[in-house]
Amino acid sequence: MDQLETVITPEYSESKTRALFLADYGLDPSIDKVRKKPEDISSSSQLILKKQESSNSDKFYPPPPGQQLVRKQNYEPTRPEWHPPWKLIKVLSGHMGWVRSLAIEPNNKWFASGSVDRTIKIWDLASGTLKVTLTGHISPVRGLEVSSRSPYLFSCGEDKMVKCWDLEQNKVIRHYHGHLSGIYALSLHPVLDLLVTAGRDATARVWDIRTKNAVHVLTGHKSTIATVKCQGVDPQVITGSMDSTVRLWDLAAGKTMATLTHHKKSVRAVSLHPTEFGFLSGSTDSIKQWRFPKGDFVQNFSGHNSIINTLSINSDDVAVSGADDGSMKFWDWKSGHCFQEFNTTVVPGSLDSEAGIFASTFDVTGLRLITGEADKSIKIYKEDENATPESFPLNWKPSLGRNRY
Amino acid sequence: MSTLSQLLPKPKFSSDSIESQNKVSHQSGKNPNTLSLTRKNEIPPYGKRSGWTPKTQEDFGDGGAYPEILIGQYPLRMGLKKQKKGQVLSKQVDSDGNVRYDAIARYGHGEDRVIQTDFKELIPLAQRIGTAGEKLIQDRPDEELVMETAQRTREALEKKIDGKLTASKPRGQSKSMESGSSYIRYTPNKDGPGYDPKMSQRIIRMSEMQIDPMEPPKFKHKRVPNAPPSPPAPVLHSPPRHVSVEEQKAWIIPPCISNWKNAKGYTIPLDKRLAADGRGLQDVKISDNFAKLSEALLAAERHARDEVRQRSLMQQNLVRKEKESKEEHLRLLAHRAREERSGVISGAKSSASHNQTLPPRKESKYDSNSETEVEDSAVNNNQNSHDDERAFKREEIRRDKQRELRRDLRMSKMGAEAKAKYIAKMENRDISEKIALGLAKPSSISESQFDSRLLHMNESSIADLNDDEGYNIYDKALLKGSNANFNYRPHSEIQDDSEIAESVSKSMENDRFGIKSGQESSSRNGDKSSKASNIRSNPVEFEKDVFGVDQFLNDTKLGLKRQREN
Repeated sequence: MDQLETVITPEYSESKTRALFLADYGLDPSIDKVRKKPEDISSSSQLILKKQESSNSDKFYPPPPGQQLVRKQNYEPTRPEWHPPWKLIKVLSGHMGWVRSLAIEPNNKWFASGSVDRTIKIWDLASGTLKVTLTGHISPVRGLEVSSRSPYLFSCGEDKMVKCWDLEQNKVIRHYHGHLSGIYALSLHPVLDLLVTAGRDATARVWDIRTKNAVHVLTGHKSTIATVKCQGVDPQVITGSMDSTVRLWDLAAGKTMATLTHHKKSVRAVSLHPTEFGFLSGSTDSIKQWRFPKGDFVQNFSGHNSIINTLSINSDDVAVSGADDGSMKFWDWKSGHCFQEFNTTVVPGSLDSEAGIFASTFDVTGLRLITGEADKSIKIYKEDENATPESFPLNWKPSLGRNRY
Repeated sequence: MSTLSQLLPKPKFSSDSIESQNKVSHQSGKNPNTLSLTRKNEIPPYGKRSGWTPKTQEDFGDGGAYPEILIGQYPLRMGLKKQKKGQVLSKQVDSDGNVRYDAIARYGHGEDRVIQTDFKELIPLAQRIGTAGEKLIQDRPDEELVMETAQRTREALEKKIDGKLTASKPRGQSKSMESGSSYIRYTPNKDGPGYDPKMSQRIIRMSEMQIDPMEPPKFKHKRVPNAPPSPPAPVLHSPPRHVSVEEQKAWIIPPCISNWKNAKGYTIPLDKRLAADGRGLQDVKISDNFAKLSEALLAAERHARDEVRQRSLMQQNLVRKEKESKEEHLRLLAHRAREERSGVISGAKSSASHNQTLPPRKESKYDSNSETEVEDSAVNNNQNSHDDERAFKREEIRRDKQRELRRDLRMSKMGAEAKAKYIAKMENRDISEKIALGLAKPSSISESQFDSRLLHMNESSIADLNDDEGYNIYDKALLKGSNANFNYRPHSEIQDDSEIAESVSKSMENDRFGIKSGQESSSRNGDKSSKASNIRSNPVEFEKDVFGVDQFLNDTKLGLKRQREN
């Protein structure tokens, strides 16, 4: 082998790369070593000549430098950070239907849940007691958000209504009228008095909260928009749709900034990282990590093979994906490594098929995870304090094989 | 370069102007191609235009077409069909000389639009060239940028909202009808038509006309059709997998068919109905225990049958053995008796032999019944010559009995069918006798079967109805009335022994055949006799002498007589 290398090196400057390619395509260079007779130099040189000839006609000849898409020899998968495992601590029941939306209050005192039973319930986060039940929607409540700038709660539902609740009186004070079909998602702008709703009519509508005017109608999606998120910097609106695309919108102009078409199936969940300038999008069988502002594809979080309904990220770089079949996976944000996975246990008395996660959110601190489920319950998870890297070692097996993107 | 031009043949068509341009370009050292694009068009003078064609609008020089050039010419684009815009994209090349194929995806989009067209967009960022080592995802932008963005957005949106608000606000009367009026000094054109030299100048007052607020719109509001959609974003994922047959089958959901409602009255095939039933979806699972139970029951039944059969066989065997032993015993007795008798006979002939046969006879005394004793005594008392005859008769009786027993045995061994047949045969044989004895009952027809109106009709009307020709002999019951065959009917009530005795005594009292009866008592006795006959419970019965007792008695009497005579 040494001789082989010494002979080849002057010929090919990227012998290492080539060897790597050979290894990749299953052509083990050691096979030549076995065949070669080390004492017979002339025969070995012949073999090398033959090899050169064969390599000239080789299909997998490495591309010249500069045109390589992948720099194989340099790529090292990032080692994931250790996170303590999460465990269930509380189950809240009270809803009469699936819990489809959750929203945490900015002061972290309470959270709201919207359900298929057409009610919004407000729960105390610490004790888990029901504080108040808001009725008014006539169809499942699909989106909830609590404003950080006003004592308002915003809700939207499949009844095409967007309501603004005044939490000092527990009354609806505003309606935002205009959607042509059920509304599936809602998001508040963190700085401006703007509200973005999106739904089955394939449009996202930007509302001025005070005047109730539709500022923009963001059209472009070809199918139901399942999720919408807002942020303070461009792109200010991100939507995920059932036409299997994610769109980043320029809010000032009301135009699409970018369309991400990497997903193969409908994108039901999008989640922004609270501190880093990136986001996750989840469709059936795939979760992808993206980078703002251009929407560059960063990596896949591979392994969650089911219909992903919800994604949440906390500031400790823990991402959670919840699926329709009740499976939950916890990911390391940096590396995309799944450090924990389990299926939710259904509330006693419900069917096995009622295991499903529709909504999830971390609380403001990121220490509690709240999930809204198909067994009509709300579950609260927290990190295991007793866990150490020794008791729960990192089960990380980086794959060196070729990945398909 | 010069050598190459020397080698090449001279160009056929060469214009001096191009040559001179080339020279100029060579002198200036610029790229000839770029200059040729900006070269000045020179139109050759008339007569020197062979081989020249106008290509651009400038070639026409604001003039018309060249009639001596025989191609289609469109000066000032007159007569030129309008070409659709944007059908063809110019080929674009980037700084490295690579063709920019993404131009087609970019078409119609602004510069700030992000369009991912490269294959490298599919590769994770960490594995792309030039990204190694750096932090892939930056931290969120600071507050300053956020505020700046917010400000920019706010301004843009406020402009839009204000426009909307003003549009939505009701517009009142025009602000200033009077102030809006203005005066214009107008000087008409002297050469214009209708020029009046008297009025060289006019002053015109312009004021806004009041608009009726309730006036219907003058112009029809037409909906603007949608602009053509922007070109779709390049799809950066592999095509979906083809669905296999199994997967397709797994996704078949049977239609919702109700067993109770069919509002549109569709004809629903039976199999669809059954499929909708949902029963077919579950596999019917029958427990093995059912099979086990039935098998066990079968086995138990067989076992029980075997046992019963064996027990009955055993019992039959026992009965047979008992009978055989009895018969054997009887035969033994008969044999002994015969022996004794023969012994007596032989004893009559020779007394020695009699003495010899005595001890066994005494032994047999224990077993022998009284009859033999009687016989013995008879033999001892009267030793006459009639012994043979009596023995023969006894033998005959015995044979009869034996035959009877055998028949009974046969009967008991016979199958049910054969037995029934036999009984039927026996009954058939006896039928006449039964009739004679009144065992056979005439069919009892209750009167309620007839129509009472018919019965209550008087005879004349019936006679009228029934003419001679009519075949109505058997229409009336032969025995009519309640007493018709009272005698031959069993009484329902069960009589006590005392009652029976009484009836018997009564029947004994009255003279049955009217022997004793006088004229004076005839009426009373007649009543009585009728009463007695009524009272009799059962028909007269004759019993068959099955065991031949009478005969036996007769025989014995005869035997005794003979003995006496002897």
